[in-house]
Amino acid sequence: MERFLPAAQLTALADDLAGSCHVLAPVAHAGSVVFRWYRPGMRLEFSRMASTSPKAATFPQTEPLLVAQRHEEHKQPVIEATLPPQARTVVLGCRPCGARGKEIFGPVFLGVAHDPYFARRREDALFISLVCTRPETTCFCSSVGGGPADPTGSDVLLIPVQGGFVARSVTEAGAAFLQHALFEDVGARGAEADAVVTQAQAAMPPSHDFSSAPAKLLARFDDKEFWEQQSAKCISCGACTYMCPTCYCFNITDDDLGLISRRIRTWDNCMSYTFTLEASGHNPRPTKAHRLKNRVSHKFSYYPSIHNGVIACCGCGRCIKHCPAGVDIRAIVHAAQEYAQ
Amino acid sequence: MSASDSRELRIVGFLCNWCSYGGADTAGVARFSQPTDLRIIRVPCSGRIDPLFIVRALINGADGVLVSGCHPRDCHYAEGNFYARRRLETLKQFLSATGIDPRRFEYTWVSASEGQRWQHVVTEFTRRIHELGPAPIMSHVSEGAWFDAAAPAAAGQSCPCHG
Amino acid sequence: MLQQLKDAITSRLPELDLVLGWEMGFDPFHATPLYIREAADVERLVVGPWAVHNLATYLPGLKGKKVGIVVKGCDSRSVIQLANEGLIRREDVTVFGLCCDGVVSHRKLREKLPADLGFVEEAQWQADVLRARVAGQEVSVRLSDVLADKCIACCYPNALGADVLVGSERTASPQPVACQESFEALSSAEKQAFWQETMARCIRCYACRNACPMCVCRDHCIATSRDPLWLGQENSPAENFMFQMIHVMHLAGRCTECGECERACPVDIPLLLLRRHMNRVTQDLFAYEAGTTVGQTPPLLTFQVEEAGINERGW
Repeated sequence: MERFLPAAQLTALADDLAGSCHVLAPVAHAGSVVFRWYRPGMRLEFSRMASTSPKAATFPQTEPLLVAQRHEEHKQPVIEATLPPQARTVVLGCRPCGARGKEIFGPVFLGVAHDPYFARRREDALFISLVCTRPETTCFCSSVGGGPADPTGSDVLLIPVQGGFVARSVTEAGAAFLQHALFEDVGARGAEADAVVTQAQAAMPPSHDFSSAPAKLLARFDDKEFWEQQSAKCISCGACTYMCPTCYCFNITDDDLGLISRRIRTWDNCMSYTFTLEASGHNPRPTKAHRLKNRVSHKFSYYPSIHNGVIACCGCGRCIKHCPAGVDIRAIVHAAQEYAQ
Repeated sequence: MSASDSRELRIVGFLCNWCSYGGADTAGVARFSQPTDLRIIRVPCSGRIDPLFIVRALINGADGVLVSGCHPRDCHYAEGNFYARRRLETLKQFLSATGIDPRRFEYTWVSASEGQRWQHVVTEFTRRIHELGPAPIMSHVSEGAWFDAAAPAAAGQSCPCHG
Repeated sequence: MLQQLKDAITSRLPELDLVLGWEMGFDPFHATPLYIREAADVERLVVGPWAVHNLATYLPGLKGKKVGIVVKGCDSRSVIQLANEGLIRREDVTVFGLCCDGVVSHRKLREKLPADLGFVEEAQWQADVLRARVAGQEVSVRLSDVLADKCIACCYPNALGADVLVGSERTASPQPVACQESFEALSSAEKQAFWQETMARCIRCYACRNACPMCVCRDHCIATSRDPLWLGQENSPAENFMFQMIHVMHLAGRCTECGECERACPVDIPLLLLRRHMNRVTQDLFAYEAGTTVGQTPPLLTFQVEEAGINERGW
């Protein structure tokens, strides 16, 4: 199905959706653009890629797992498991790479182990992606299996054309969504949309071939000097992991708030010292070189080697763009690939 | 009984073991009447008080925080309260940038024999906090979690944990 | 200035393990830290408006090595402060100081461009004018329009305590920072609302902490300790703000106002509002400015029996 959404109706669409479901959208917030739970009055910002990723729609930074509450009349605290409320979520205006992110790590939560939280949120979420017309200096989606108009993980693709967006459904849920009254008949704009997509794909820089990366990175596993050089300027913060649409590591902690204690699952960060700190005090990844090795190799070597070659990276470039020290993950993988024995 | 109205507010007091805790005890032994809003936490020395104790209390919802130690030059450990004075004053002046009303935090010196002075300090500070009223606090729930709970409720659906 | 610096580094390099500088990074708008280990690396060195990083952040992690470091005025204060606190051995460090004309705020630059920073195709400085092609459009931007706030307020453009100072010395003409003034004018309730709203977008990635040259606890920060538990994992405005309180209190009297915390923040939280306020407090109370005097003790690590700056409140 193909419909047209006039640019002027975008905010009206978000406002209307916010009345009946959760809307996660890129919003201008002071000087930055971040994904936020949209409420009427917020300013949608589609012209810049948001700093944060739309990952929170399926995997929020904080997810309560259970609540323990102490009541005066009971000796034992009352413990209740929590599941996310069953409410439809619409991700409005993510990029194709962001929508693809959850497809990459989905098998981890829906494979051998079945994670009811991720499953429910994913079932309830509709991804309306905005096709990119021009790559940024940090974009490399086409090198890792995606593309500026890649439909993987999206329900609807919005293609920017004169005066608005041609909305193309990818899934049945997407087609149903396009029945919304604010969408208009597409008319003769289909050809213009096709041209935009073709032009966008042509504008991408030449793809880099990462197929030798799994073996080449593994070959550098014990090369301390290589990793120390690659990680020299890394400051070992977590900006890359928290911005990443495909990082899925989490931590579970009990947070105590007086009479209420909550067990929460939160995003974890493999660049942190405490990520692998063992109860004994031993840490198998004591330096930033160990940790960066794991982050890069996990994405480009360990993950593809057990998930049919799928690279755990969607090429959005957020980790490069927002790195305080300008660490470029592409350059590290290239260095490993080109390493002369 | 609280100072000015019936509702008790939450005031946290960090008192040094050697002077002010003794001063509070002296006031109690002498049966001086005092407001009951203050919850005392005894610390070995005012120098033990990390300013972050105070910030944590205020962010967690305390309506006021009172710190009291030995008078300068009278510290049991000779110089703990000299360091404390610098830290506490720095915090006091900094608080205005945080949006927490600096009047909600105060520090003073009360010796073990000054029961009457303790009564005065507690009464005055409690009165001040009651004038300011309950402290507004920042949200302790992330935006997403808040949304999970609030959106269905706003849409007229019942809360999932109450059927 | 660049050639002068390169020559100085080349001549000192044989006696050093490495020299910290900058090179151009992933696009023409971004420099990135450069580790100079051999003479050939010197050629990649750049200085100027893109050299935003405070390289002193890496010094405590390079203990035991003979390290050279290129510093701007603000960065030089961090080196002095680290040495004053015994966190680095000054004699192990060779400081190549610059006379700095200021650096770019990428946030401000973004506002001057027709499209986001990532659409840059070419960029070149001609004196203090940036000529660039962004998303197919030619633009020119004056450095003075995109200077980082810290450079507008800068009192020390020439590196302090440098072993080698290159460039021609500049006179400082510090101007007040507009956003600080409007922030200070807010009421307590307005400030709280501001932080509540701003901290909602914090993702607690700790980039502000790890970019900070004075945050030397790194892997052992109390914010990530579970015992004692200072900070919950919940990503709420209150907890996020509590982390900033930890940072700012631990930097009281130590912050050299290099602005790395704010620059590193991927979601542009104006963290310097808190740092500048704290620095003003320590300056008013103790007439102390971190990292400007060699051998000075930070004010919270010492005391005076009679404090001239503190008004003992009567009760």
